[in-house]
Amino acid sequence: MRLALRLARRELRGGVRGLTIVLLCLALGVAVIAAVGTLRAAIDAGLTADGRALLGGDLAIDGGAQPLPDRLRDWLRARGARLSNVVQMRSMLVAPSGERQLIELKAVDAAWPLAGAPVLSPAMPVADALAPRDGQYGLVAEQLVLDRLGLHPGDTVRLGSASFRVSAVLVSEPDQSATPSLLGPRVLIAAAALPRTGLIVPGSFVRYALRLTVPSPAAAPALAARLRAAFPDTGWRIRDPHDAAPGITRFIDQTGQFLTLVGLTSLLVGGIGVANGVRAWLDARARTIATLRCLGASARLVFAVCLIQVLALAIGGIVVGVLAGTALPVLGLVFLKHLLPVPPVLGIYPAPLLLAACYGLLTALAFALWPLGRAARIPGGALFRDALLPQHPRPARTLVAGTAALVLGLVGLTVATAADRRFALYFCLAALATLLLFRLGGIALTRLARHAPRFAAPWARLGVGNLYRPGNAPALLLVSVGLGLSTLASVALIEANVRREVLEQLPANAPSFFFIDIQDNELARFEQIAGASAGVEEVRQVPSLRARIVAVNGVPADQVKATPETRWALSGDRGLTYAAAPPPGTHIVAGHWWPTDYAGPPEVSFDAGLARGWHVGLGDTIRVNVLGRDIDLTVASLRDIAWQTLALNFAMVASPGLLAHAPHTYIATVRVAGPDQGALLRAVTDALPNVTGIAVADVLAAVAALLGQVAAALAATGSLALAAGALVLVGAVAAGQRRRTAEAVILKTLGATRGQIRAAWLVEFGLLGLAAGILAALVGTAASYAVLHYMLHYIMHAGWVFLPGTLAWVLIMALAMMLVFGYAGTAAALRTKAAPLLRNE
Amino acid sequence: MDAIPPSRVPASPTTLATSAAPLVRIRNLHLTVPATAGPVNILRGIDLDIGRGEAVGLIGPSGSGKTSLLMVLAGLERATAGSVLLAGHEVTALDEDSLARLRRDHVGIVFQAFHLIPTMTALENVAVPLELAGRADALDRAREALRAVGLGHRLSHLPGQLSGGEQQRAALARAFVARPLLLLADEPTGNLDHATGTAVMDLLFQLRAAHGTTLLLITHDADLAARCDRCVHLSDGRVAEPVPG
Repeated sequence: MRLALRLARRELRGGVRGLTIVLLCLALGVAVIAAVGTLRAAIDAGLTADGRALLGGDLAIDGGAQPLPDRLRDWLRARGARLSNVVQMRSMLVAPSGERQLIELKAVDAAWPLAGAPVLSPAMPVADALAPRDGQYGLVAEQLVLDRLGLHPGDTVRLGSASFRVSAVLVSEPDQSATPSLLGPRVLIAAAALPRTGLIVPGSFVRYALRLTVPSPAAAPALAARLRAAFPDTGWRIRDPHDAAPGITRFIDQTGQFLTLVGLTSLLVGGIGVANGVRAWLDARARTIATLRCLGASARLVFAVCLIQVLALAIGGIVVGVLAGTALPVLGLVFLKHLLPVPPVLGIYPAPLLLAACYGLLTALAFALWPLGRAARIPGGALFRDALLPQHPRPARTLVAGTAALVLGLVGLTVATAADRRFALYFCLAALATLLLFRLGGIALTRLARHAPRFAAPWARLGVGNLYRPGNAPALLLVSVGLGLSTLASVALIEANVRREVLEQLPANAPSFFFIDIQDNELARFEQIAGASAGVEEVRQVPSLRARIVAVNGVPADQVKATPETRWALSGDRGLTYAAAPPPGTHIVAGHWWPTDYAGPPEVSFDAGLARGWHVGLGDTIRVNVLGRDIDLTVASLRDIAWQTLALNFAMVASPGLLAHAPHTYIATVRVAGPDQGALLRAVTDALPNVTGIAVADVLAAVAALLGQVAAALAATGSLALAAGALVLVGAVAAGQRRRTAEAVILKTLGATRGQIRAAWLVEFGLLGLAAGILAALVGTAASYAVLHYMLHYIMHAGWVFLPGTLAWVLIMALAMMLVFGYAGTAAALRTKAAPLLRNE
Repeated sequence: MDAIPPSRVPASPTTLATSAAPLVRIRNLHLTVPATAGPVNILRGIDLDIGRGEAVGLIGPSGSGKTSLLMVLAGLERATAGSVLLAGHEVTALDEDSLARLRRDHVGIVFQAFHLIPTMTALENVAVPLELAGRADALDRAREALRAVGLGHRLSHLPGQLSGGEQQRAALARAFVARPLLLLADEPTGNLDHATGTAVMDLLFQLRAAHGTTLLLITHDADLAARCDRCVHLSDGRVAEPVPG
C-alpha cells in the first residue's frame, strides 16, 4: 500500500491532465445536491425558528365556515390561554377610481398578533393602523394592491358596504401559515370593522380561526391532544408550531426531492464523465502502466496506483462541489425569498453536505472501478499494443461485484433519503434503464452504420464509417448526453401537457366571470344587471352551501382510506349545491338522478373520480356538516365531471328538500363577449357590494404566470443535467481528439479537402445527434406518460397527448448540441498543421 | 462537394507540360520557421528539376532539410519564398484544398512511420485516395493493389494487426493505387529490419517501374540511393553537389 501511495504520488507530480474532467463532473453534480440540501436545511431551520410567529401563536385552530363556539373559548381560557380571533375571506377592494381588485381579506381582533409582529410601511403599530379615525376604520394592504389600484396611504377605499382609510403598506405579517394566495393579495382590517362591510352573510365563503398562546409553549402539543379529545368530530384543524405551514413544508419537501433527483441525474451524467475520463486517462498512460508491469508491478499494484490517483481527483472534485454547494444557496435565496413566509437561516449544515459527498464518492467509485479494473487485467505486453488497438477485457469478478454493490448503494442511499421513496426508486430504475437504452442505442447505431449501403459521396462514406470503426465510441457519446436530454424532454413534455390541460383545453363557451356570495334576495337584481349588460351571452347560477365531510359510510373523515390524490377533499369545507334536475352537461356514469318531485331522504350525485379514490359506490352514505348540522346523504348516482370546462360543477349535488331550506348563497357564471368585460364586474359589485367577482381571464393569467415560473424552474434545473452532459461530451470528444486530428492529417495528405473532412464529421455527429434526439424523445415520451398517467392523473382529465412539436425541439437541441461539439472538434483538427505530425517519429 | 474550381483543376497527366519539361521544377526555395531562439532557416535557396519518370535519391545528414523539402513539395508545408512547379501547377500559389486535390490526383507519399489510419482496415486505407476522388471502383482497385503487394490475405486487418513490413506494403499500395505522377518516399525502410526493408524497396521500385512513376526518395542508405537515377545531396538547407546515379 505504501509503495502504491509512493508511486501514485510520483505520477500525480506530473500533473493530472486528462483527469480534470473527473474533477469537474463530480464537482458539478455534488454542488447541485449539496446546494439543494443546504437550502432545504436553511429553510427548515427558518421554519423551526419562526414557527411560532408563522403560526401566530402556540396553537392555531381553523374552524372552517362555522364560527368557533364560545364554549371552546371558555375551555381554552380556563387553561390559561390568550386568544385571538381571525376571520378570512375573499372579497373585492374598490378604489376611488372605480378600479377593483380581488383580495384575500383578514379581519383580526385587538389581541392579534399573539406571536411575531407585522411590518408596516410607514412603520406604526398595527392596532393604530386598523383603528377607526373620524369614524372610518383603517386598512393595510400589500404593495401589490396599492400598485394595481393606484392607491397611496391616506386614500379611501370601499370594501363591501363600508369605506376604509388606507393606513399603510403591509410589508410582512406573522400568522401567515397558509400558502400565498394565487388570486388575492392580503388586506388586513380590524374584526370590529367587519360587520360594517356586510360581507358576512349566511353561506358566505368565510373561514373562522383562533390563534392562542399558553403559559407554557412547550405544552402546546399536549394541549392540542386534550383539545381534540374534548371536542371530538368537530372537523377543526389544530396545528402547533412544528406543523405551522404544512403547505410550505410539503412544497419544500417535494421541490427539494425533485431538485435532489435532478442533482443526482447531473451526478450520474458526471459519473459517465468519470468513466470516460478514467478510460481516456488510462489509454494515455498505457505505456507507463506497461512499463510498470514489465518492471514487475503486479496487477493489484497497478490497480491501486491508478485508484489512488482517481480517488485523489474525485475527492478534490467532491470538495469543490461541497464548497460550491455551501455558497450557492445564497444565490438561490434571491429567487426564493418572496416565495417563503420566513427567512431561511443560512449556514453550514453538515448533514446535507455529508450526504452530497457520499453521493459523489459512491458515483466516482461506481463509474471508475470498471475501467480501472480493465487496465489492471491487461498484461504488460498487450498494453503496448493497446495504445493503438483498444482491447476490452472484462475486469475481475470482484470488481464487477464491487461495481454492482456501489450501484446498489447509490440506489439505496437515494431511496432511503427521499421524501417519496417509491418515486425515488422509480427514478433510479428509470435512470438506469435510460443509461442502458442509450448504450444499446449506440450499439444499434454502430451496427446500422456498418451495414448501411455505401454512399456515393466520399464524405458521407467517411462520416458513416466513423460510427463503426474501432476506437470510435458512438455509444459513449450517446450515453454522455442521453440522461440530460431525456430529463429535458420529460420535463418539456410534462410541462406542455399540463399547460395544454390547464390553459388550452378551455372550451369556447367557458365563462368570463364567477360571482360568489350572491344572497337569495339579491339574485333577481343580479340577473337584472347581468341581463342588461352589453355582451352578456349566458348567465347561470346555482345555490351554494359550504359543507364539511364528517364521515363516509360511518368512518370518520380523517380515518377514511382514500387515495393520496383524493385525500384533500376529506378535509376543510367543500362546496355543495342542490338541484331537482340534472344540470346541463351532466354525465352520469352510474345510478340515476332523483325524480324532479323527489321528497325522500337526502340523496347525492357524487364525483365519480372522488368516489373511486374514497372507494364509495351507489347506496353508500356520506355524512356532511352544513351550518353545524350533520346530514346523511345517500349516493344515488356518480358523475364524470369535466372540471377543465370551468362550468359550474360541484363534487356533490344533493337532492332539494332539506338543503333548500338551509341558509345559502348563490354562485353564478357569466359569459361575456366584447371588449369591455370589466363593465359587468363594476356594475355587479357596485350594486351588490358583498358580491365578489372573479374574472376567469385573471385567474388564467395568474395560473399561466405560475406555470411559466414552474416551467422556467423545471427547464433551468433540467438544464443542469444537460450542462453536465455537455461537460461529459466535451470530455469524450477531447479524449478522441488526438486520434481524430491524426486521421484528419492523413486524410488531407491523401487528398481530402477541408470541406470533405468537415462534411464527414458533420455526417457523423449529425447522425449521433439524430439518434440521441430520437432516443431522448422516446424516453421523454415514456417518462412524461408515466408521470402524468400514474402520478398527476388527477389534474389530467383530458389525458396525456403526444406532442410532436415539443419533441421536435428536443431533436433539434440534440442535433445542435452534437453538431456544435463535433464541428468544434473538426475545426480544431483542421487547424492542425500536417507536417509536424507526419515527420518521422 | 469535391468539385474543383475550373481555374484550379490540375490538368490530366496527358495534358501536362511537354515531355521535355521536368515534372518538378524548384527555384530559389526558402523555408524559415520561427523558434523561441529566433527564426531557423531550414531551406536556403534550393534549385532542383526532376524529370518525368526519373528516380531521384535525396540524401544528406539529419537536419539538412530533406523532409522539409518533401513536405513543401507535397504542399504539406508552406514555403517562405521561391517557386515549386509540380505538373504545371505552382504549388506555392495553391490554397489548402487545391493542394489536397493535387496530392489526391498526382502525388503518392510513403512515410517511415507508415501513417495508416489505425481504425480502418487495410482495404479501406488503400481505397481512401480513390474514394476521395469519387471513384466507384475504389474498393476493387484497392483490393487489386493489396494483392499486388502480397497482402491479398490481409484485406480486413487493421493496421495494428499487421507487421511493420505489412503495414509499409499497405502504405505502398495506398501510395500507388491512384497511379500518381510523383511518389515521395521519406525513409520508407527506417522502421523495418534489413531483410524486410529490402523486400519493401524491391516492391517500391517494381511498382515505380510498372507505373512509370517519378520518384523522390529520401534515404540514408547508400545502396538504396544507388538504385536511383541520380542523387541530390542536401546540406544545411542547400543542394550541395549533384551526385551521379
